[in-house]
Amino acid sequence: MVQINFALKEVNCKVVYYGPGMSGKTTNLEVVHQKAPEENKGELTSISTDGDRTLFFDFMPLDLGNVAGMRTKFQLYTVPGQVYYNSTRKLVLQGVDGVIFIADSDADKLAENIESYDNLRENLAEIHKDIRELPHVIQYNKRDHPNALPVAELDRQLNKYGVPAFEAVARSGEGVFPTLKSLAGLVLESIDKLNDRSSRPAPRPAAQRPQTQRPAPQQQEDELAAEEMEQEAQAPQRRTRTAGARSAGGRTQRAVKKSAPSRRGAGGARKAQTARPQTQGGKRRRTTQADMAPAETAEKKGSGAVLAVAATVLLAAACAGVVYFFMQGKS
Amino acid sequence: MTTDPSKMSANERLRHDRLTFYQEDIERIDRLLAEFLRLSGAKCALLIDKEGHLVTRKGEVRTVDMDTISALVAGSFAATKEMARLLGEQEFTALYHQGTRDNIQLSLVGDRTLLTILFDDRTTVGMVRLYASETAKKLGEIYRQASQREEPDIQLEADYGSDAKKKLENLFD
Repeated sequence: MVQINFALKEVNCKVVYYGPGMSGKTTNLEVVHQKAPEENKGELTSISTDGDRTLFFDFMPLDLGNVAGMRTKFQLYTVPGQVYYNSTRKLVLQGVDGVIFIADSDADKLAENIESYDNLRENLAEIHKDIRELPHVIQYNKRDHPNALPVAELDRQLNKYGVPAFEAVARSGEGVFPTLKSLAGLVLESIDKLNDRSSRPAPRPAAQRPQTQRPAPQQQEDELAAEEMEQEAQAPQRRTRTAGARSAGGRTQRAVKKSAPSRRGAGGARKAQTARPQTQGGKRRRTTQADMAPAETAEKKGSGAVLAVAATVLLAAACAGVVYFFMQGKS
Repeated sequence: MTTDPSKMSANERLRHDRLTFYQEDIERIDRLLAEFLRLSGAKCALLIDKEGHLVTRKGEVRTVDMDTISALVAGSFAATKEMARLLGEQEFTALYHQGTRDNIQLSLVGDRTLLTILFDDRTTVGMVRLYASETAKKLGEIYRQASQREEPDIQLEADYGSDAKKKLENLFD
């Protein structure tokens, strides 16, 4: 979970390297530690076995520096890859903001990769995180192995959600930074979105965004208006002051206006005429003949004719009454 | 116990997705921690969230690598929590590590932060535990009040995203 600390002026995010045993998670972190500028990195700490296998996690803080007045830091963790360390992996995943999945390109390791990716999805689900909504990228490591599967095949087998994928040879440092840079970008994007839409539900998954079917403009505006109205009903006093939020409010206004005719069609012309001033914030507007739709004008003409007929009938009845009294009086 | 985010309101979801600390709350917390150090005789008090990020600290500590200390404290607490679960306890709310000179006492505050106290032989574990328990209650009350009020209208700068992108480019070039 992102921590935003306005007192320390810091933003902290947690990134986890995940993947099967011996796929190169710790190697990735070691390369980042070796090559990152001195002022941006902290100590690399490993809780490992005597055989240098990760027991709990490896950890390294990476400082992005001052971003718009906030010191932004990534805490990089690895997990132990072996199957029997699953409870430890779950602990490290708690509060994660982004995952880098390190896959071993070796053909013999394909099953382990798939099992580990499924395990990641399950462990995230246990902490109520949907893998499709979590910023994550995949790295196909060990591309220099003679038995390495083609990237297209690995993509087909592993990359189910179309997330960014990178080829790497972590031992030589190749591909390590592009992978981390891509994931860091996705995490920062998600923070920015959360900030911009602070009173709204969480953003859509980054990985799915390009594939998501966008609704038609009218439908989109109507949905936006409905969402905004629901939030206003929940928290009427809350107003975000960011420029983005203001423009969203502007869009909403227009969307409400545009959606009025569709309601009018369903509810009848008169109903819509009385409802419209309310949707404009209580400001009543004089409706002139020129403003009216042809259907409204025709209806007004029709109702005028009905009135004329009714007046004629009343007049005739009155005349008949007068004649009747006159005749009675005469007799 | 983690709540399913799909069953949360927008505001609850926001609180679930990020942990925000405001100046006003941190000032209150700092005053409380300073008072705790004065009463207990401990050297340093750190407040760390469960993800291993430092929230605030008072007092002196030899190491300057607070990030690593925070990550290890959170990891240690998470591991102990799992042990508690296996033993049928919901959570061990306090932990104590004894060294030859320095000792560490960890207490869970609320459901998201850990009060970490470093102390040496100038005080006793009993004193530290007593005042830590009182401080944890008062901190819990500050969190409760913070969670009930409307969030202050303080946001990250509008150019945070674009600035972050530039910094990323520079770092990885």
